[in-house]
Amino acid sequence: MNFEQLFLTVLTYGCLFSVMTVCLNLQYARGGMINFGTVAYFAAGAYAYAIFTQEPPKGLDQYLFGFDAPWWIGFIAAGVASLLFAIITGWPTLRLRGEYLALTTFAFAEVLHSFLLNERRIGNGSVGLSNVDRPDFSAIGLSENYGFMLSAVLLLILTSLLCRRILASPYGRAVDAVRDDEVAAEAVGKDVHRLRFEIFVISAVPIGFAGALYAMITTLVSPDLFTAEVTFFVWIALVLGGEHTIKGVILGTLALVTFEEVVRSLHFETVRAAEIAASVEYMMTGLIFVMILRWQPFTRFAKKGATP
Amino acid sequence: MSSDLLVVENLRKQFGGLKAVGGDDGLSFSVKEGSFVGLIGPNGAGKSTTFNLISGVLEPTAGRVVLAGTDLANVRSSDIASLGLGRTFQTPRAFMSLSVLDNVLVGAKSSGENLRSVLLGGWRSSEPALIEKAKAALTRVGLEDRVTETVSNLSGGELRMLEVARQLIRDPKILLLDEPTAGVDPSLQGKLSKILTDLHKEGRTLIVVEHNLHFLFSIADQIIVLQQGELLSSGTPQEIKTDPKVVAAYLGDEHAA
Ligand SMILES: Nc1ncnc2c1ncn2[C@@H]1O[C@H](COP(=O)(O)OP(=O)(O)OP(=O)(O)O)[C@@H](O)[C@H]1O
Ligand SMILES: [Mg+2]
Repeated sequence: MNFEQLFLTVLTYGCLFSVMTVCLNLQYARGGMINFGTVAYFAAGAYAYAIFTQEPPKGLDQYLFGFDAPWWIGFIAAGVASLLFAIITGWPTLRLRGEYLALTTFAFAEVLHSFLLNERRIGNGSVGLSNVDRPDFSAIGLSENYGFMLSAVLLLILTSLLCRRILASPYGRAVDAVRDDEVAAEAVGKDVHRLRFEIFVISAVPIGFAGALYAMITTLVSPDLFTAEVTFFVWIALVLGGEHTIKGVILGTLALVTFEEVVRSLHFETVRAAEIAASVEYMMTGLIFVMILRWQPFTRFAKKGATP
Repeated sequence: MSSDLLVVENLRKQFGGLKAVGGDDGLSFSVKEGSFVGLIGPNGAGKSTTFNLISGVLEPTAGRVVLAGTDLANVRSSDIASLGLGRTFQTPRAFMSLSVLDNVLVGAKSSGENLRSVLLGGWRSSEPALIEKAKAALTRVGLEDRVTETVSNLSGGELRMLEVARQLIRDPKILLLDEPTAGVDPSLQGKLSKILTDLHKEGRTLIVVEHNLHFLFSIADQIIVLQQGELLSSGTPQEIKTDPKVVAAYLGDEHAA
């Protein structure tokens, strides 16, 4: 793999996954909500994009829906799908504290995963939907690789601006207050449930857009691509980035993506060397997990909001 | 004659087998608009629990609370607060990640708290006025030099005053204070007593839980005495001081001295 290729890949996926960590940062570090089903909102966006832009089924196709819409309608549909999924999953669960919310969001993501795996009429089951439509960048004189890279950068910038705008306002102040002490926030009239719900739902939208972009890049959506591993990946990136600032989580994500891509692009002389490299990668991932457990970021918020 | 702003009727709260408030028959009392009520009683008498029931932090086992004509059954504590009720907590509560100023600003009802105005930026014009109000509230409670600090630098007594400031900026109709003088140093207690009498003069209704009876009896106009969750007595400070039931059960030694 040449350097330019590596650079493009790192930047594209780095920004794409950063969109997710920035949103997760809003939900967790600021909103105090542990969403362990991140991949589901990503998948909802990717599938919505694929379904809206693909051709209607014909012949042996097992899926039922295809609207042959232009890419931008598919893109909007992805944001809406993720938003709806956040409403459906957030409404019943957001009253739960800390690790209970983590468990239920994780469960929702698993349910969506097995639904997509077994329900052929929506996304062709385990095969998935292939040949996903992509926008044509040649009209504006860009190669595909650069086009997607710039799209990912743009999406990340817009997401970061949105998050910053929310957090730097009285709204963000109220969100921080709710996370710090729910009871005290209620004592000054803050509608704790509304605030948490809104933050949860808003931050799902860019994740849906990222899903659409991912589907364009890979031109394939299948259950295999949307496993809990994606969720773990963005959580690790979030923790690496130190969890609090937008800049920090973006750096953490870029570092993790770079690490993975560099390891993946290494050239191995022997199968044995490749095997060793693979296990080193596993070990590193494991090590990072241990670091997460050591710092216990999850209990920090659970401890607060004890009974009055 | 002013009317009842707060009515507590047959209120009961049990924690498991423990009858924390209301005993078997329930606790009943009413508070007239504009009055200054002192709520006293020995440790564990159910004073804080009564506050938690009125402010919706806890659900009553039985009975009801009516605030300005609204039955508060099934009304969430944030909505009760929005009806004009302010309260502080026995253990001061602060937003630890926010500055002293922001802690007070959280108490304000800002136009920047709905997403539309956040996204359009419409809240910015109203913010300077709120900041001035917050600073004025902080000055009133004697924290004017701490505005930009983080709350972790504040002492227990200062946190208590911070909580008062956070309520002041909201302009509540009725304010419930749980042991406002505890841990507050004597020089500030004078300030606090002034704040409370001023709030009273402005027409606000106050209910104050205090163990510092000297402090309370000099500023309240009605005293309610609880004992083991039940109403022992109620009346003017003068009546309470001489009520044989109260003297026997509670005031005894303190006032003999
Ligand atoms: N959340 C709770 N769970 C169980 N028991 C409680 C709870 N809150 C209060 N109690 C009990 O209810 C009783 C009344 O407590 P409360 O805090 O209302 O008393 P208080 O009059 O405020 O006392 P103090 O002067 O010590 O503050 C006590 O026996 C207390 O242990
Ligand atoms: Mg108490």
